[in-house]
Amino acid sequence: MSSDSLRYGAQLAAAGHADGVARIDNAGDLLAQTVDVLVRRAPSIAAAAANELGAIVLAMHFGDGSYAALSARLNSLVVTRTRGNASVACFFDDQSLTKLYDLELRPSEILQQGAFDVRGPIDQVLATWRTFQLLAQRAAGLRPVQSLWREYRRGRDLDFVTAPADRLTYPGPGSQPPDAAGLVRDADLMVARSASVATTRVLWDRNAGEGWWTFEGPQDADLFDIMEVCRRRVADEIFRLIPNRRPVDSLYGLMREYPARGGKGLRPTLCIATCGAFGGHSEDAVQIATAVEMFHNAFLIHDDIEDESINRRGKRCLHTEHGIPLAVNAGDSLNLLAVDTVLKNIDGLGLARTLALIDEIIRMCRESLEGQAIELGWIRKGIVPARDSDYINMVTKKTSWYTCRSPCRLGAIAAGHTRPRELDLIGEVFKEVGIAFQIQDDLLNLVGEEDLYGKEAFGDLLEGKRTLMLIHLMRTVSKRERTGLLRWLGRSRDERTLAESRKVLARMTLNGSIEYARRVAARHAARAAQLFEETLGFIPQSEDKAILRQVIHYVNTRML
Amino acid sequence: MSSGPFTRLPLSDVLERRWLHYAFITVDERQALIANLATLGGENGDEPTQTTVLLAYHCDHGWTCSQWHASLRREPWTSYRFPPPSTRLPREPDFEMQSLTGTPSVSLHLTSTTTPAPAGVSHFHGTNWKRWQAQPGVLAKGRWADGMAPPRQTVAVGYHERVHGRWGWPEMGGWVFGFCNKLADRAEGPPEWAVVFALLQPRDQRHDHTAMVMLWRRGRMVLFVPRRTLRVSVAGQLLRDRVLMTPALAPLLGTFPTAPIPAALSIDGYQGRDSIQIRYRCRDAARLVVPSETSLQPFSVHEVIGDMEVRVKLKDSNVVFTGPGIVEFAGGAAERSWSVLR
Repeated sequence: MSSDSLRYGAQLAAAGHADGVARIDNAGDLLAQTVDVLVRRAPSIAAAAANELGAIVLAMHFGDGSYAALSARLNSLVVTRTRGNASVACFFDDQSLTKLYDLELRPSEILQQGAFDVRGPIDQVLATWRTFQLLAQRAAGLRPVQSLWREYRRGRDLDFVTAPADRLTYPGPGSQPPDAAGLVRDADLMVARSASVATTRVLWDRNAGEGWWTFEGPQDADLFDIMEVCRRRVADEIFRLIPNRRPVDSLYGLMREYPARGGKGLRPTLCIATCGAFGGHSEDAVQIATAVEMFHNAFLIHDDIEDESINRRGKRCLHTEHGIPLAVNAGDSLNLLAVDTVLKNIDGLGLARTLALIDEIIRMCRESLEGQAIELGWIRKGIVPARDSDYINMVTKKTSWYTCRSPCRLGAIAAGHTRPRELDLIGEVFKEVGIAFQIQDDLLNLVGEEDLYGKEAFGDLLEGKRTLMLIHLMRTVSKRERTGLLRWLGRSRDERTLAESRKVLARMTLNGSIEYARRVAARHAARAAQLFEETLGFIPQSEDKAILRQVIHYVNTRML
Repeated sequence: MSSGPFTRLPLSDVLERRWLHYAFITVDERQALIANLATLGGENGDEPTQTTVLLAYHCDHGWTCSQWHASLRREPWTSYRFPPPSTRLPREPDFEMQSLTGTPSVSLHLTSTTTPAPAGVSHFHGTNWKRWQAQPGVLAKGRWADGMAPPRQTVAVGYHERVHGRWGWPEMGGWVFGFCNKLADRAEGPPEWAVVFALLQPRDQRHDHTAMVMLWRRGRMVLFVPRRTLRVSVAGQLLRDRVLMTPALAPLLGTFPTAPIPAALSIDGYQGRDSIQIRYRCRDAARLVVPSETSLQPFSVHEVIGDMEVRVKLKDSNVVFTGPGIVEFAGGAAERSWSVLR
């Protein structure tokens, strides 16, 4: 077994948890930071808690005088620090907060008037309790969450509820099931990952047992770290494969530029995690994930030219920096190198799997090019489609295939699975994810932070992109305004100003187009989450599967 | 004429099986070997089917495995014969097995140094049953060629088992088996300590699992912990990258994934005032994919190499020993999953 193979766990150990722990002055800060960590790093936990919380606004009054309100919004959690109307109120002291986190006691033992009260309508109190339970069971398993709470305890001299010293030294009639998790807690991460902390599962307890292969409920993963590990692994592979030869200034240096600017690592993560979820080795998917990332970078170079974009990943686009001819040439070269990288799989995966990979890659490229052609055709003809379904069809082809659907299908093929039914089922789930991803991408271009997003603000409006917000706006404005907007969209990019774009955005906000798009993205993500649980039951629960689950929720909570 | 290791009655049907199982770890703890020789009942009165598989491990190079038809040069050694096999040297190697490709290949003299365990029996799902008998401390000496390191003469200590039963893989559910030998100063004699454990987990019978832990000291069994005083737990998952699917044909056929193997196993048990704690950390694993006669999903036997620590309280003395151990996490044919793909 290759010693340099990709192992999330091993690499995580080396990387550490880059977040660090921000200053926590009070319990309200602790809650806000915990939710922040969850939304960014393990969005499926936030989504599950949001599902339990529903429409409840939970006001939390802490023993140190601080306050925080927790509510659900679009499959995620939101914490606000301002006092307002709440449907359920909770009162904690420090010790009861700790008890809640540990959740080793029955509710009746934790709830005490004055120390820990929950007040509100009975059904909502129960929903609140389920939310606490879910957060304690799942969020408390994540290492970054643990470091937050450890920091909080340390500052206040708080103890865990269960003292390990009470445990019996030798087994006997009164002892607890053995703590297998203790063996993994500080274990070598080369062998047992993960970013989440393992919990003990009892296989046999004197008179009842569960099969070792059975897993109840989902497992969680720290998506944030894993995406970074996968991104870095694939970027290293790209740099290794780009020839170290001349001409550097006009070709090979240019080919390295976009990959060197980073990115989210979504495609490599999907590809590698799917391979693992289907029982393959993560390293088996690295070549094909690298090829997909090369195609992606080649598409971006050409896409930036077609869209007349200015910035990409926080820097100037390749064609604005080096001119269109050289940029086109670098894009073509990356495409060629990507084909070569696909073919390299013959050595590791054999001919049959490589042929299946080629088949999938051809489909991915064809769908993406068709999607791009549809959108460019609309812009060229000055058309804004009237129906959402036209837009959904376009983004399914343009984005969904090569961002989500194919990376997953390719990962499954790399693991040796080529049955159409399996590939279709996972592809269908991630089609929905791809749609939600593109809508969120369009939203971030309008309302996201430019520094984080990396493209110029309003770039899509200046480029005349047919986004869901624009389509909704055109449907909801008067005929006269629509004619004016179409005229504005018919101009060239140079003729549209930033001030005009701001006005269009203001109109979108006023007409509810932004909110509408958010809702549609959330709906597609929710649909994906539902399909994931309903149709992918044939994939055994594993951390790789948990990563895929996290990606679904990530797409509409991501900030970049 | 010798008798054993099984009754001479013919196998009744396709689900009836007889196995001889072997597992060894070299005394330098760098290499390991697992072999299984199975006789499976024929279909509609046909001749029984034989399968033989040889799996080798090297700590620096991982696993290599034969297909299901490794060749045997002669009737294999087993301690479950009467009269028992000779322990005198020189004699012909009594366990010679090799892959058709040439490696892995072993030519060994085997000697038992401990008393066998009492037979374990599990009945499940009406007519399904499994009966097995284990023996740790089996000494192996001879030529060892795994194809990953140069062939060499070596000494290994391991485990031998005979299994007879009739079961369908989905009904079987799965099992956790394992052993560890703590060698004495002289490798020729019985291990100073040896432990064997078994947990059989038939599907849908959560109150009817079979579990036991057995402890030997210098070849004699000194502790038997029954299931009613045992607790077994697992945690974590072994990285998929540490698990190799075997035989070599299996990964080419799109074999379906199983649940991840746990990264750690803990067993606590007691009998009267005596007690035992076993802590095991998995290092590397090979997944042997066994076709199932009655389900689409194959049965998988994960052979796991890892490190075992055993704490024993026996009468008033406390003992701790550590060593490499081999554990099997087997199961997977009962997973629902496949109906959606039909």
